[in-house]
Amino acid sequence: MVQLNALAGALFVLTVFGIVGMRQVIGSLRLFVIQSLLLAGSACILGYEYTSVHLFVVAGITIFTKAFMIPWLLYHMLSHEIHARREITQVLNIPTSLLIAAGLVIGSYFMVRPLLDIGAGAFLKVNLPIGVAGLLIGGYAITVRREALPQLLGILTMENGAFLAGVCIAPNLPLMAELAAAFDVLIIALVVGLLTRSIQKRVGSTLVGKMTSLKEE
Amino acid sequence: MTQRIAYNIIQVLVVMIFSPLIKGIIDRLKERVQSKKGPSIFQVYRDIRKLFHKDEVISEESSWIFRFTPYIVFVAPIFVALLIPVLTDYPLFFAFMGDMLAGGSILALGGFFAVLAAIDTGNPYGPMGASRTRMVGFLAEPVFMIVFFTVSFVAGSTIPYIVQQAWITPVANFFAPAHILVLLAFLMLIIAENGRIPVDNPSGHFELAMIDESKGLEYSGRGAALMKWGGCMKFFVLLCIFLNVLVCPWGLADTGSSWGLLLAIPLILLKMLVFVIILVVIESSLSKLRLFRISEFMGAAFVTSVVAVVIQLAGM
Amino acid sequence: MELLIILLIPLIATPICMIPLKKRGISSWVTIIGTLAVFIMSSVVAFHPVLPARVSFTTLGGWLSCDSLSALILVLVSFVGFTASLFSLGYMRKTNGEQSPKGAQQYYALYNLFLFSMLAVPLLAHIAVVWIAVELTTLFSVFLVGFENTPGALEAAWKYVVLTCMGAAVALVGVLILYWGLRVAGAENFTWQGLLEVAPKIRPVFLKTAFLFILIGFGTKAGLVPLHTWLPDAHSQAPSPVCALLSGIETTTALYVIIRLFPFLQEIPGNSASSWFITFGLLSAGVAAFLLIQVKDYKRLFAFSTIEHMGIILVAAGLGSGAAHLGAVSQILAHAVTKSFCFFAAGSALLVTGTRDISSVRGLIRISPAAGISLMLGGLAIAGAPPFAVFLSEFSILKAGLSAGHYLVIGGLTLFIAIAFCGIMSHINQMVFGAASGPPVRFVLPLSCKATLALAVIPIVALGISFPQPIHTLLQFAAFSIGR
Repeated sequence: MVQLNALAGALFVLTVFGIVGMRQVIGSLRLFVIQSLLLAGSACILGYEYTSVHLFVVAGITIFTKAFMIPWLLYHMLSHEIHARREITQVLNIPTSLLIAAGLVIGSYFMVRPLLDIGAGAFLKVNLPIGVAGLLIGGYAITVRREALPQLLGILTMENGAFLAGVCIAPNLPLMAELAAAFDVLIIALVVGLLTRSIQKRVGSTLVGKMTSLKEE
Repeated sequence: MTQRIAYNIIQVLVVMIFSPLIKGIIDRLKERVQSKKGPSIFQVYRDIRKLFHKDEVISEESSWIFRFTPYIVFVAPIFVALLIPVLTDYPLFFAFMGDMLAGGSILALGGFFAVLAAIDTGNPYGPMGASRTRMVGFLAEPVFMIVFFTVSFVAGSTIPYIVQQAWITPVANFFAPAHILVLLAFLMLIIAENGRIPVDNPSGHFELAMIDESKGLEYSGRGAALMKWGGCMKFFVLLCIFLNVLVCPWGLADTGSSWGLLLAIPLILLKMLVFVIILVVIESSLSKLRLFRISEFMGAAFVTSVVAVVIQLAGM
Repeated sequence: MELLIILLIPLIATPICMIPLKKRGISSWVTIIGTLAVFIMSSVVAFHPVLPARVSFTTLGGWLSCDSLSALILVLVSFVGFTASLFSLGYMRKTNGEQSPKGAQQYYALYNLFLFSMLAVPLLAHIAVVWIAVELTTLFSVFLVGFENTPGALEAAWKYVVLTCMGAAVALVGVLILYWGLRVAGAENFTWQGLLEVAPKIRPVFLKTAFLFILIGFGTKAGLVPLHTWLPDAHSQAPSPVCALLSGIETTTALYVIIRLFPFLQEIPGNSASSWFITFGLLSAGVAAFLLIQVKDYKRLFAFSTIEHMGIILVAAGLGSGAAHLGAVSQILAHAVTKSFCFFAAGSALLVTGTRDISSVRGLIRISPAAGISLMLGGLAIAGAPPFAVFLSEFSILKAGLSAGHYLVIGGLTLFIAIAFCGIMSHINQMVFGAASGPPVRFVLPLSCKATLALAVIPIVALGISFPQPIHTLLQFAAFSIGR
């Protein structure tokens, strides 16, 4: 069981790297779906271990919102964006980004070490550092990408990382909080999707990295 | 004792005899997937035999390196075959003479001489292919190292026989995340080192785009036969390491009986067949990467292996 | 019970605003009445004679709670909400015009939702739900920021949502670590009240890590440097009443959550929470003061001033003494009323001249006396001149800091306040006085805007002279919530 959870965590890290290193938006979106499924898998494993139905519900909510609703929403609102076979413009090239992401993984292990010394659990050792790594790498992905949809995927990756850490350290958070947090992610996707659509209509492209007219020059 | 030496020699013979068969199977399967008829699976044997009967034509500009290289390329995988588990589970006579790093270095020696020979003749396509091979190789070296280190760290040793035991003794170890990630990284490595799609097109004839095939461009007659055979053996040996140590350490002879040994031969071929099918599926569904994207591919392999190390170390 | 009503009113007003009725302007009146009701109820709650200092009275099964600090924020939110809705009556009519009544309906519906989320933050007891409420304040205000649909507004909205959601994800991890620490210490109750009880038993490492994550995460939302880059854009591109809401109270609610955590860290010996607060506060105040000098857009000027004041509040909270905490909460009060007034003035100036550019507006006081005078007053007030409210609170902070011996910090703070003063005054002087030039009058200021300006200036001046007793009591009790 521990190994399976660790496997889910390792594949989660791989998908996070993939989101940073992918060139196509569709690929990133599919990786995001896989990532959410892995998150749900980890939640199920933890639910089985701690025998809490609560975590199974969380897994179900995750699959519903992140693996179905969000891609569906994005397909419908931004199909032009997603199916465009353009490559994502980045500030740094991909190998450098991948190396920085690997560095961030190592950094997150260091960051959570004082916490791990206290609560020694096999699940904790996997979920917490990988969750924080997802957070950091998602944030990095936002700064490095120049387009709207990849930045949204960066935000959603950050939330996924936070949830991965959360299912392990806070398995008994009241259900309402979890539900609300999950729908909150849905609302984020909705809002950002609509905003991207308005940007596309008004400005003509979603290269948000080039929208720098409000600087202090 | 003599039994062990004998088994070791049988192991080498297996590598020598069956490696062209594997290459033939890959070629035929690829063609079949593309709805063509494809050559017979024994075609590579016929090609090697034909080449041995032909005359060699050697450029006057080349030096001893050019003449010497086919032998080195042929012999290097044989030495490595002495060191790795091909048929048996327990260490054989030469097993402790070199570990996985030694095996990697010997293969690299072969590759090194092949590159030198390609530059040696003065053919313009040779150095081009050679420099590309070196680019892929130098990006692949760190991955090799890290994969070996990760795998050895768990087992506490770098001898492949001992490492193999460490992965299967508690079966749960097989699903350890570090293991799966190392598997993925090594798979990408095999693809890169042997010049398969997506790194290189093995059936391409266009010299400007060759990476790995370029090492055999200038050879003819016996030299070409040895290079070809050596290439097949290198592939076979790498596959043996991959399958027998990492992916599927079961199905090897664990007792000392000769029946066990003979039984292991079709089993290893079966494992290779399964892997070959997967490889053909990968090759047929992807397209060759543009040259500078190869560094991204290797970067992904590197990062995968680094994550494997980190998870392994941190999860201790 | 009142708390629930406070929350329900804007929630009910939202769908009412969306009803397409023939009579135009019904949604604006619904909003105004709704916010007035909310304000009255909040004042009732806040000045309740029984309202105790730290122990909260809870209703509704423990989901809602209110103590003095929450009540203070509640009153501020509702006051600014009311005045801004009054201002929007005239402002939206002029800028949005008769062309799109549907646009006005969307505006008011979003306005009510936004107000609802901001009211929810101080009232909610369970900390994870507070996180959700803070996240909702972002999400409901995104379309308000981008309401004018210009490329600049959309860019501002984009940066706003991306950066704030980043911060929210980081803060989520912090909240979860806090919950973990609580569970390890054996408690179940993840409300502010419960946390207060268990705080001595929680292991320091949990509190410190959670604090750091929440400071960075919600600090992005509060506009602390270096995560402030979205703030000048968002707070200048939004329509002016929305800017008043954003600058006056949204950043304050984010800061409220951070400040609430402060007493829990005081328990730890050798803690560095106050030094984090002081560092970030000074950094924000300093960077904002310097960036203030070279703005070209007067709404951006006020946005940077917001960053500066958030920094000052944080420094005051971090100074640690009771007097400093009193200064911090009075600064919160003063800033909220003053900044909203400044944005009303800026909105009036925008209505009158039609441009946000400082260099193209001259002699505002001759073009439109109301706009000119209010801009002048607003600039003076926010820069910290007497006899305005901000002066009193800043002075009390400086005095508290000096008497506690933090000379270097107070020296730096004074320097930054002085730089900001010069910056603001030079820009405002340029705009208000001088020969009247620039583009001709675009719109005449509508009556509601003038009425709002007159209404909003009263607290600034009144609180600058002295704090009435009930407010003073409220502030004192609120200050107790911060420190020990």
